[in-house]
Amino acid sequence: MRRSAFLAAFTAFGIAASAPAFAQGGQPGGQMTLQAYAGIFRDNYTEVVVNPFTARSGTQVQYFDGGTSAQMLGRLRAQRADPQTDVVIMDVTTAAVACAEGLVERIDASVLPVIGELGPMAREAGGACGPAVTYDHLVMVYDTRAVQPAPTRWAAMWDPAQRGRVAVSAPPNIQGLALTAILAKAAGGDWRNINAAMPMLRELAPNVQTFTPNPDGYTLILNDQVRFATGWNARAQLYHDQSQGRIGVVLPEEGTAFQINTINVVANAKNRAQALAFVAHALSAEAQKAFTERMFYGPTNPNAQVSPAALNRTALAPQFRERIVGVDWEEMVRLRDQWNQRWRREVIAASSR
Amino acid sequence: MSAALLLLPAVLILAAGFLYPVALLGRISLNRTSDIGAMEPDLTLATFEKVVGDDFTWELAWNTATLAAGSALAATALALPVVLLIRAAPPRWRGLLSLMAIAPLLVSGTARIVGWLAILGDQGLINAMLEGLGLTSEPVRLINNWTGVRIGLTESLMPYACLVLIAGLGRLDPRLEEAAATLGATRTKTFLRVTLPLAAPALLAAFLLTFVLGVSAFITPRLMGGGRVFVVATEIFDLALETVDWPAAAALAMLLLGALAVALVLRTALMRSARA
Repeated sequence: MRRSAFLAAFTAFGIAASAPAFAQGGQPGGQMTLQAYAGIFRDNYTEVVVNPFTARSGTQVQYFDGGTSAQMLGRLRAQRADPQTDVVIMDVTTAAVACAEGLVERIDASVLPVIGELGPMAREAGGACGPAVTYDHLVMVYDTRAVQPAPTRWAAMWDPAQRGRVAVSAPPNIQGLALTAILAKAAGGDWRNINAAMPMLRELAPNVQTFTPNPDGYTLILNDQVRFATGWNARAQLYHDQSQGRIGVVLPEEGTAFQINTINVVANAKNRAQALAFVAHALSAEAQKAFTERMFYGPTNPNAQVSPAALNRTALAPQFRERIVGVDWEEMVRLRDQWNQRWRREVIAASSR
Repeated sequence: MSAALLLLPAVLILAAGFLYPVALLGRISLNRTSDIGAMEPDLTLATFEKVVGDDFTWELAWNTATLAAGSALAATALALPVVLLIRAAPPRWRGLLSLMAIAPLLVSGTARIVGWLAILGDQGLINAMLEGLGLTSEPVRLINNWTGVRIGLTESLMPYACLVLIAGLGRLDPRLEEAAATLGATRTKTFLRVTLPLAAPALLAAFLLTFVLGVSAFITPRLMGGGRVFVVATEIFDLALETVDWPAAAALAMLLLGALAVALVLRTALMRSARA
């Protein structure tokens, strides 16, 4: 009892003692609010990124479950006159909207030197606003108990034996957009050429049980509803571990596409100094390494010395880099309506059950 | 003066909880959306023109109206025998039976749909029974399509139909049916010639109420449609939360609200004429 009390006091003293040291570097204590994804993202991000920041800076971080990126954007719009959050982590396409509407700050390496450490793609992803903080990528997930041998290509979902056992998120969901771009690149050499992807998608349609997997493809596999689904690597890798390997994760030979999350300081944030300090920490090599090793999001800071075991479970592993289809998400947003309509009329309509 | 004061709290709640959000929605619908999806402040009807000029909007309207009409009709038809049974039951059982008829309203819509997924799914109860009895070798597709949505929506509308019919049929004078029987009418003839005509206004009210609820249904088409069922409510959701095109979502919502207002006016007119 005495020992635990002593340890608690010692830890508290350590945090308190280190905070002023951090503050001497120009980063204050105080508090701030981070708005980002809920669930396992929150749990893991809090543990390996937020808590070390708090311990070092003395800044208390309130983590606000933002829901989807669109919901976070809605909240930023509603709170434009009186922002209640200081930092927001959201998908790059939604962040571009927030940037264009002036809801988040324009930021560059002159404000945050750590941005200079990032790779070119990470800097360009956010445009004039906050840079990429995580890379995720589209994967095929499957039921390892029902599908053997392990598939290596998207084409496995086209197998007639899988009729009604596939879950695909259709556009406007970005998984559907990414899948279309990957197939277009594989079939026609250009990710923008939807005409090349359409015949393949029409062929896939009869195998699809649902175009809106609820709650998600991983759960449908675990509940024996489907055998294949599209998914995001980071969550898929965690579900793989949690399910003792029941969920198989494949980065298919035809390719994959990045889903990029950017980190932004909210315009007129009440705790701007703390927000900038947190963004600097989140982009640092140390935090990037920790989060990649915990949740298998690709690091955006090339200085992050990620263990080979963790790196091999991201698309940044050397053997996978050639498979990455360079989708320009800003251009994709302009194509989205047209692709959405073609899916509805040509793919979903061809999949009557 | 005192009547106005009594009304004031309700008016304030209505203004804060309904009129203000609707006005805000109307204002958003007059904004513009840039090619990257950013909302640009404006005062234009361009979004309405785009939405109304899109063939897909009319397809959505047709899907919504036919789904709502079919489900409302089925819910009313299925609720009628339930309510007749309640009416015929001994008075001491009627309260309990009425409660059972509307009990699904006590359960969240999402939870009920999860139940339907377990029953109608490809690996669900019905398919397991059919395969177990050797009647089918492949799953019958009862979910993630229009069939599933129709079943789910009918079930979710039935308690409302029951409520209206319990109230409407409860007012029928049973002596009229007894008189018909005394005069030699069979049970069928009594039902067709006496009960049904007298119940017509209640049936119409039940149909119209469930139709209006069906038009704005979102959870059932979203969760049981498998992405194959496109109605106005699911499109508003996609526009607001997937493509983040708020002006288009708001314009579509305003149009739906307008259509529902017209439907409610028609309902009131029809009910008045039915009573007359």
